[in-house]
Amino acid sequence: MLRKKCAIFLAACLFAAGLTGCGGSVQGNEGREKVRLMVWSPSEDQSKASGEWLQKMCRSFAEENPQWDITFVYGVADEATAATQVSQDPEASADVFMFANDTLTTMTDAKALAKFGGKYRKEIEEENTPELLKSLTLDGELYGVPFTTNTWYMYYDKAVFTEEDVKNLESMLSKGTVSFPLTNSWNLPAFYFGNGCSLFGDGTDESKGADFGGEKAVEVTNYLIDLLKNPNFKVDEGGSGIAGLRDGSIHAMFSGSWDANNVKEALGENMGAAALPTYTLNGQKKQLYSYAGSKAIGVNPNAKNMEAAVKLAVYLGGEKGQKLHYELRNVIPCNKKLLEDKDILSDLVVAAQTETFDKTSVLQPFVPKMSNCWVPVENMGKGIRNGSVTHENAKEQVEAMNKAMNSDGI
Amino acid sequence: MSGQRMPSATGRRSVKNGIVHIVLALLAVIWLFPIVWVVLTSFREEKGSYVSNFFPKAYTLENYKRLFIDTTVLNFPRMFMNTLIIAVCSCILATFYVLAVSYCLSRLRFKMRKPYMNMAMVLGLFPGFMSMIAVYFILKAMGLTEGGWIRLALILVYSGGAGLSFQIAKGFFDTLPMAIDEAALLDGCTRWQIFSRITLPLSKPIIIYTILTSFMAPWLDFIFAKVICRANSDQYTIAIGLWKMVEKEYIDSWYTSFAAGAVLISIPIAILFLCMQKFYVEGVSGAVKG
Repeated sequence: MLRKKCAIFLAACLFAAGLTGCGGSVQGNEGREKVRLMVWSPSEDQSKASGEWLQKMCRSFAEENPQWDITFVYGVADEATAATQVSQDPEASADVFMFANDTLTTMTDAKALAKFGGKYRKEIEEENTPELLKSLTLDGELYGVPFTTNTWYMYYDKAVFTEEDVKNLESMLSKGTVSFPLTNSWNLPAFYFGNGCSLFGDGTDESKGADFGGEKAVEVTNYLIDLLKNPNFKVDEGGSGIAGLRDGSIHAMFSGSWDANNVKEALGENMGAAALPTYTLNGQKKQLYSYAGSKAIGVNPNAKNMEAAVKLAVYLGGEKGQKLHYELRNVIPCNKKLLEDKDILSDLVVAAQTETFDKTSVLQPFVPKMSNCWVPVENMGKGIRNGSVTHENAKEQVEAMNKAMNSDGI
Repeated sequence: MSGQRMPSATGRRSVKNGIVHIVLALLAVIWLFPIVWVVLTSFREEKGSYVSNFFPKAYTLENYKRLFIDTTVLNFPRMFMNTLIIAVCSCILATFYVLAVSYCLSRLRFKMRKPYMNMAMVLGLFPGFMSMIAVYFILKAMGLTEGGWIRLALILVYSGGAGLSFQIAKGFFDTLPMAIDEAALLDGCTRWQIFSRITLPLSKPIIIYTILTSFMAPWLDFIFAKVICRANSDQYTIAIGLWKMVEKEYIDSWYTSFAAGAVLISIPIAILFLCMQKFYVEGVSGAVKG
């Protein structure tokens, strides 16, 4: 009998516990508005080992906004996959979350991203460069608060290359081995952009389509075929670049800030980082251009307390949030003021990434048709590596790639 | 004299055996290759996902230790426990469902028997993950997609469909002679008693098979766990954890630990199999007298 009572009591407790989870904004005891904010971030932002950035920021946000009695609920979703998680069920997703800008349309299609307007938009515009905000703007509307840039650049061994060497790929290849992820469609277009190829006009005009064909693309393809024959050039695949850097067989590789700590560990004092070099095509120097984007903080349009959610997003992506993010986790800031800070700018990685973003990158398009552009480029890279793309058939192969990039078929 | 030229019968046989053994040995090497590689990688001391040699240059236990010590970003012990709880519970439930349904379909005759079997056949033709979004929204409507309820949700998901996969167990029950059941009925047994006291003890191999498959399905599943867990990192199962370890940000530093995790998840399955293996050979032999 007692057992049965216990069971009923337990069930009642659980039911009550389930109900309390659903509280929206209710007036609290002290006349403050009760707010429940669900925040998603990558797990490093919440882990003790890397300083609990999110918890610290949220706590100080609550202190600065005494009008609200805020309960924070934390969840884990990294920037790259947040879009799938949120668009699966926007209503049951976080009020504030972080996302990579190339997933912008996934979320706007699912109506899972709120627009920023009024004084908040003005504040964001004051703190960031227009180039950066372009990566989060769709049809004139701003959809996120950027907190870092997202691109790739070059790491090199200072013992092998001088600062003058790293400005040109050919002068690097004559002195040491260089590894490039030729089969990765996020990296390979860098060569094509250098010789005048373009995607969707300036990256936002879907009707212009992909322009990866013609003589300019054939020249690049021929250059790449020859590049592969250079014994000092190695294809970086499956982590071979960082492994080579570690054992000394490779002296330069191309990657992003996520590899910074690994490179630091491998090269120590000799670690160098720089914006992308130029390459010499038919005697002319052409610049490599990487894809650039941003990571941003987004707000769910289904948030119960919109004002608090937007304010928190702006706060997390603001100067203070970025500074702490950099101190705790080396997340590279993008705030205008912070990038003038000498201490931050003296960091190799920050300088390299910022320079890449400003000078040697193109905005990674996020128009829906962009999704057709990845596989053909990857196949081109693989074809060049395994020798099925040759000087003889380069023209046909390039035209086939360009056609595939401009078609909707799979 | 000519006998020396002609190979003897035993000689020919040993040549044949030799060839067979070489082929089998080759196949064994091919099959074991990936497993050996994973085990070697789990003990590898060099970091990173790419190595140029098959055998590690140095061996270490650090990769295993790290899984249990470095829990701030990826909490492996918690994922392991989550998965174990979910797998054990759904294994018990699913095994019971499968055996009970199979017994009913094998021994009882009722109106819906044939239509049920046909329906199960048709439903079984669709891949289970087709329903995953629908399953997610149903569970959400029941409030089972947040916090600790996720475990219950996953147990329900993994055991709920068990009643449809009765075919193998039913086939086995069909081979048990009806005469035993009839004799028991005459002696006054109820259906439940026949099932639990007579049929089950005679069907150890199929019970073992059912337990193993219904343990492994939730233990290894990725897709449902991913859809239902979403951002609740404290409810992650091992499959999600291992998948996280090979993402761009983690792969270089977690790769060897990923291999260690892969070795560790095979341990419960191996233990379960070893414990139950001996029952495999015990069959119906000698059960029916006369």
